[in-house]
Amino acid sequence: MYVKAVPPTDLNRNTEWFTYPGVWTTYMLMVFMSWLIVLSLFGCSPGMAWTIVHLAHFLITYHFFHWKKGTPFADDQGIYNGLTWWEQIENGKQLTRNRKFLTVVPVVLYLIASHTTDYQNPMLFFNTLAVFVLVVAKFPHMHKVRIFGINADH
Amino acid sequence: MITIPYLTALTTYFSYGLLFAFGQFRDFFRKIFDRWHASNLQGYAPICLGLEDFYIRRLYLRIQDCFGRPISSAPDAWFDVVERYSNDNNKTLKRTTKITRCLNLGSYNYLGFAAADEYCTPHVIESLHKFSPSTCSSRVDGGTTTVHTELEECVANFVGKPAAVVFGMGYVTNSAILPIFIGKGGLIISDSLNHNSIVNGARGSGATVRVFQHNTPSHLEKVLREQIAEGQPRTHRPWKKIIVIVEGIYSMEGELCKLPEIVALCKKYKAYVYLDEAHSIGAVGKTGRGVCELLGVDTADVDIMMGTFTKSFGSCGGYIAGSKEVIQYLKYSCPAHLYATSISPPAAQQIISSIQVILGEDGSSRGAQKLARIRENSNFFRSELQKMGFEVLGDNDSPVMPIMLYNPAKIPAFSRECLKQNVAVVTVAFPATPLLLARARICISASHTKEDLVKALEVISRVGDLVGIKYFPAEPNKQHQEQSMMKLE
Repeated sequence: MYVKAVPPTDLNRNTEWFTYPGVWTTYMLMVFMSWLIVLSLFGCSPGMAWTIVHLAHFLITYHFFHWKKGTPFADDQGIYNGLTWWEQIENGKQLTRNRKFLTVVPVVLYLIASHTTDYQNPMLFFNTLAVFVLVVAKFPHMHKVRIFGINADH
Repeated sequence: MITIPYLTALTTYFSYGLLFAFGQFRDFFRKIFDRWHASNLQGYAPICLGLEDFYIRRLYLRIQDCFGRPISSAPDAWFDVVERYSNDNNKTLKRTTKITRCLNLGSYNYLGFAAADEYCTPHVIESLHKFSPSTCSSRVDGGTTTVHTELEECVANFVGKPAAVVFGMGYVTNSAILPIFIGKGGLIISDSLNHNSIVNGARGSGATVRVFQHNTPSHLEKVLREQIAEGQPRTHRPWKKIIVIVEGIYSMEGELCKLPEIVALCKKYKAYVYLDEAHSIGAVGKTGRGVCELLGVDTADVDIMMGTFTKSFGSCGGYIAGSKEVIQYLKYSCPAHLYATSISPPAAQQIISSIQVILGEDGSSRGAQKLARIRENSNFFRSELQKMGFEVLGDNDSPVMPIMLYNPAKIPAFSRECLKQNVAVVTVAFPATPLLLARARICISASHTKEDLVKALEVISRVGDLVGIKYFPAEPNKQHQEQSMMKLE
C-alpha cells in the first residue's frame, strides 16, 4: 500500500516532517505500545497503566512541544531560537488540522485514563491537572505568551 | 511525487523517534555527569547552546564514516578512497595510508572533465606558468587578467546572453548576488526545494520571502496572485520588485524544472525569473547549453541565468549572465566582485578549454560524443534500476538519480556495503532532505563506460537485496519470455 509524499512549503526542517503521511498513525501506535509495555512491566491494573501513560505523555509532550525552544541543528542560524516547537509548526498558523489533532489527543487520553480508573481520587486530580495544562498551552491566544516570564528568552 | 509504502513511513518515524529518545537520554546523563566535574572556564558563556548541535552530536556522528571520505586521486570514473578507522565508535576517525580503488558514483563529473583531459590540461598548465595560481587581488584592483575577460565573453556566448560576470566560488555567487538585486520592499518567491545558497542569499537580502510548492506552476500562480493583491506586509503598498527563483535540475531530486510554464506565468504577472543552472549547464541539451535549450525556452525570456563551473566543466566558480546593463550594475555593486579574490587563472583557463571542447571548437567531435554518452548512460542506468524495483527519482535525460532509502538505518548500511564492494556512493539524510526521505544520490558521468555501469548495477542490486530497498516489484526479464516463446514454436 503506497502513499504519496508531497514536499510542503515549510522551510523549517524541524517541523516540516509533521506534514507527511503516517505521522498520526505512528503517534497513536506509539501511545498504545507504551500502554502495553507499562502493563507488562509493572503488572498493575489497566486503569493505573493508562494513568501512567497519560502522565508520562504529559511530561514528554510538555517538555518537547512547549518548553524546549529552537531547532536541533544550527543551519537556520537561530531564527527560531525564541519559539517552542508548538509555535513553530506550520509557520505559526493557528487551528490547522495538525494542531487540532494534537489538541484532541491529550483529551482522549484523559477520558480513557479517568474512565478506566473509575474517576477515583488521587489519579483523577493529577490527570485533570495534566490535561488542563496541556490544552491551555495549545490555545491560539497562548501563541508566544510567557506567563510570569517563565521560559522567556535570556 | 514520491510514493512511499505506508509501512515504511511508519517504521521510519519510529526509528527516528527511537534515535531521538536515545539521544535525549544520553544528553540528560551527560548533563548530570558534567555537574560533577566542574569546568575550568568559570563565568564564560558556552560556545553553542546544547540543543543546537543535538543532531550533529547524537545522530550524525554515529554514521560519520559514511560522509566526508577523503580521496587521494582525481575524481575520475575510478578513484582512490582513503580508508579510515575509529577507536571510539565513530566519534573521531583516523586516516590510514591504505587506499581502495573504487567506482565513483558520487562526483558531479557530468562530462568527464574532472581528470586530466588531452586538450584542457596542457592549456591549463601553460596558463599556470604564465599567470601563476592566484591573482592575489580582487577584480577591481589587479585581478582582471586577459583570461578573465575571455572567460566572461566565452560564458556569455555559450549561455546565449549578451554579457556575463564570473566569481571565484559557486555558493557565494548566489548568496552575494541576491541582496544586490532586491532589498526591503521586494518579494522573492522561491521553490521549496531550492539550494541552501539561494535560501541564504534570500534571507540576507532583507526582502520578503515566500515559498511555492516544488515545481507546481499552479501553486506559483496562486502565491503570485495572493501576494500581488495583498502588497507589502504592513503597509499594503505594491511590491517594488518580484523575483521568482527556480533551479534547472534540482540536485536532490534529479528533476527538471517546468520552465516554459513558469516563464509564461512570470511574463503574465510581470515578475523577474532567476534560473540557477548549477547542475544542468553543460550536462543537458543537445549542445550542452542547459535546461533552456532542452525545454525550448528562449534565453531572452529568462532575466538572470546563474550557474556554476564545478559540475560539468571540472573547475571552480560561478557565473551570472544577463543583459549588458545588469552585468554592468553588478560589477560596480556586488561585494563578491569588489572585495573577493578573483577566480584563479588556471581554473578560468580550464573552463574556457572545456567550453571549447563541448562546442567542438578544438577541432574534434569529443564534445558531442561526451554529451551523447552522458545521455545514453543516464537513461540506461535509470531504466535498469527501475526494472530491478528500486524507487528512483528524476526525469529522463537527467544525470542525477537519487535512490530512495527512507529508513535511517539503511543509510549507513547501503553506504558501507557498497564501499566493501568497491563502489563509492553518496548518501544524503536529514536535514539536507526531508526527515522521511533519505536517499542515495548517484551522479552519472560521461567517463563511465558500459562495463562500469553494469558492474555498478550488479553491486547495487546485491546490496539492495541485502538492505531491503527494492520497494517496487521488479519487472520480469523480457529475454526469458522471448526464449520460452521461441521454444514453444
